[in-house]
Amino acid sequence: MKTLLIRSIRHISLLVLLVSLLLSAALPGCTPAATPAVTDSKPAAPQPIPVVAGIPRFKIATTTSLYDTGLWNYLEPMFEKKANVRLDIVYAGTGVALEYGRRGDVDALVVHDPEAEAKFIAEGYGINKRSFAFNHFLIAGPASDPAGIKGLTPDQAFKKIYEGGVADPSKVKFISRGDNSGTHSKEKLIWQSAGYKYEDVRKSGSWYVETGKGMGPCLLMANEQQAYVLADISTFLAFKAKVTIVPLVDQGALFLNVYDVMAINPEKIKTAKMLPTANAFINWLMSDEVQDVIATYGVAEYGRPLFSPLKGGGCTEPGCPKLEDYTTPVK
Amino acid sequence: MTILRTVNLEQRAGSISLLRNINLEVKRGEVFVIIGPTGAGKTTLLRLLDLLDTPCAGDIYFDGRKITGPAVNVMEARRSLAMVFQKPVVFNSTVYDNIAYPLKVRGVNNSVIRSRVEELLDTCGLSGFAKRRARTLSGGEAQRVALARAVISSPAILFMDEPTANLDTASVKAIEDLLADFNRRNNLTVILTTHDLQQGQRLAQRAGVLMQGELVQAGTPQEIFRSPGDIRIARFVGMKNILRGIVARQGSGMAAIEVKGRVIEAVSELPAGTAVDIYIRPEEIVLSLQGLQGSARNKLAATVMSVSLDGPLCTVVLDGGYTGAPEGTPLRLEALVTAISAGELALRPGQQIYATIKATAVKVLPAPHSAD
Amino acid sequence: MQELWQALVQAVQLIARLDSEVVEISLRSLYVSAASIVIAALFCVPIGGLIHFHEFKGKKVLINVIQTFYSIPTVVVGLFVFLFISRAGPLGGLELLFTPGAIIIGQVILILPILTGMTISALNGVDKSIKDTALSMGATGTQAIWTIISEARFAVVGALILGFGRAISEVGAALMLGGNIRGYTRVLTTAISLETQRGDLVLSLALGIILIGIAMVVSVIMNVLLQRY
Repeated sequence: MKTLLIRSIRHISLLVLLVSLLLSAALPGCTPAATPAVTDSKPAAPQPIPVVAGIPRFKIATTTSLYDTGLWNYLEPMFEKKANVRLDIVYAGTGVALEYGRRGDVDALVVHDPEAEAKFIAEGYGINKRSFAFNHFLIAGPASDPAGIKGLTPDQAFKKIYEGGVADPSKVKFISRGDNSGTHSKEKLIWQSAGYKYEDVRKSGSWYVETGKGMGPCLLMANEQQAYVLADISTFLAFKAKVTIVPLVDQGALFLNVYDVMAINPEKIKTAKMLPTANAFINWLMSDEVQDVIATYGVAEYGRPLFSPLKGGGCTEPGCPKLEDYTTPVK
Repeated sequence: MTILRTVNLEQRAGSISLLRNINLEVKRGEVFVIIGPTGAGKTTLLRLLDLLDTPCAGDIYFDGRKITGPAVNVMEARRSLAMVFQKPVVFNSTVYDNIAYPLKVRGVNNSVIRSRVEELLDTCGLSGFAKRRARTLSGGEAQRVALARAVISSPAILFMDEPTANLDTASVKAIEDLLADFNRRNNLTVILTTHDLQQGQRLAQRAGVLMQGELVQAGTPQEIFRSPGDIRIARFVGMKNILRGIVARQGSGMAAIEVKGRVIEAVSELPAGTAVDIYIRPEEIVLSLQGLQGSARNKLAATVMSVSLDGPLCTVVLDGGYTGAPEGTPLRLEALVTAISAGELALRPGQQIYATIKATAVKVLPAPHSAD
Repeated sequence: MQELWQALVQAVQLIARLDSEVVEISLRSLYVSAASIVIAALFCVPIGGLIHFHEFKGKKVLINVIQTFYSIPTVVVGLFVFLFISRAGPLGGLELLFTPGAIIIGQVILILPILTGMTISALNGVDKSIKDTALSMGATGTQAIWTIISEARFAVVGALILGFGRAISEVGAALMLGGNIRGYTRVLTTAISLETQRGDLVLSLALGIILIGIAMVVSVIMNVLLQRY
């Protein structure tokens, strides 16, 4: 009788053992390559390579919006094979991703917030920054465009939205990321350009909605509320089929969105040990192999690529990175 | 010969005294019954003896060795003792597992356990019950399991705390027969508590009366029931006729006691002038239509007040009238006769009858100074 | 409403064709939660027993505190553990962050209060006479304690099932501590959170249905095992 509980525990332990045996057997991708794995984005991506003990783990942090596009499902196995490492990708808003970097919890960062990155590098945490892709932000909103922003410049559009929202919050609303992400930083920049103090905007009325959510959920919410929202084109295209809001403003230097990669500085973070791999990663992102993938990613699904490669000088407007920023290899 | 002895055992709960001055002695192989009303402290005492609780003061000696006190290995002593509780307690497992438990915790070999359990299942009338879940048994069956479980490790003493209080008559008999059997065959000492006087009389070789935390009398059941130590005990053991009187004359061991104007003779050494309580067992009053011849010293004329039949017996309440000082209640006596006798005498209320009582049947004790 | 139906259909499809990634994350959910329960139980049942069987000053306060922590928010636990095991934290050298082990740590801490508190409740439910009987039948103190725990086994296993349920359905800490890394720390709940974020509600619901299915199977298995013994 007294051994009954011991027996129950023994059974549970056996169950755990059995499960972990099954798990280690199941990990090598055992379905034929023809069937796409479920959590990939719609274009069929290559299967993850099997786990082999002893392979080092290389961790990067990226932004939610970039992750949600599914581009990494492609790039991940490519890099793992090339560099013979396990690439672990965690995603969060830019602010949190940078924090992971400061804490040494990741070895490299892929983000898109120039101001925050500059500060990060100035503090000594980031080194070897390069750019590898770009796209644009856009303002999406209800087709009826109650604030009348179609065709305006970004700052002009924001001004109209502010005025319209303050006047009648039931007609004009704006959904903000409110989470210190790259998109959020861009949003704050535009408010500044339009002549507003961001704190004033936040307090000005119920028309301005701070969600703290990722890009996708914000788009869905903007759709629900028929509100305006600042989004990157890649996420917008990924969600286009699910929403009725449409792009109303997509031109303007302020909308330029450049994707950067940088390594964590082992001199500042003593625990960072993967610098050679990080450097290889950075160089690889600038390589033809990746640039070609970036040039076509999304065409099959959306009719146009979600990103533009920097290689070949595709970015020509003011604010685009200099040639050395997207071509010079890291030593 | 003495297997268990207590010396001035005492137990308290906070400031309330539960047991005081408990000094008892139990002989090996004896069936010792502790009788007492509810709340007397029987369970408390048994828990002390089984070493489930520690006394506030006093000592217990088992087989000559002290088993109370700080330096004692309680485990070792406890393994020679076993207890069956009032409410049948069974573990939530099979009957087999229940009975096997004491041997399992002692690390006994499985095959030995198996044969012992089967043996006891048979003895206790539980053959075929081995795989039954113990919690599904009736009270009587569960108590038999508890008994089997208690004796399987061949303890030296078996304690039983009102073991049949909650059971039906058939189960009561079964349990009583079993413990008598174990006592006889294995010389198992049994210490049992009960508030059922009949059970006490049936089972006890020796008995003790526990009242309000004190062991007020110990001895054979005969001694206790016939010669209770004081009026409390007398009342408890079912003495019906307890009367206050005063010794009028004393003559070489025979006292003439004045009770409510009548004189009753009894065997007693108490001097004249002593205030006394006299006790007469109902069954020792002989009724007749005429005064009986013979050596009985007390022949009282009385009137029948009531006659109540109870199975084979008949309780008759008599009014002996009153011939004392102006204020006072009449002499009331309760007699117990067989229903057959009652029939032969054609007893009915209002009838004039004679009550004959031997002097030896009248117990005399000095009256306590304060009112009882 | 049709999403629910679609989700049911998709769930069945995913199970039927044993979709490799779904199988992988399901097994990982099971493994992580089962490991958490086993580790937590090894702590909590004895500690619950110790607390129950001893009287000491502040015992009631302690039990109150334990019960308060039943409802600790998972993100708080996640944050707390994160600060410890981040490379910048005191246990950073163990390199636990963003590994399945980190998720297990978080979940163990999460279910510690429930398992301990409910073990104490379970033991409370056992009649005092069981202890007396066990001792009277010659059990040592430890043997008596095991007997009492055995008497309470139904309630204790109920607590284990509850703890398992809380562990396997938990998102906040798993996300923060595991990072939802594909092929390494992704579990059912974090996958659901990701798919919701990406707008694929049907897939989220389907994964949710699979998760409930797993929880049910585990609960049934545990109850069957209990009955047999």
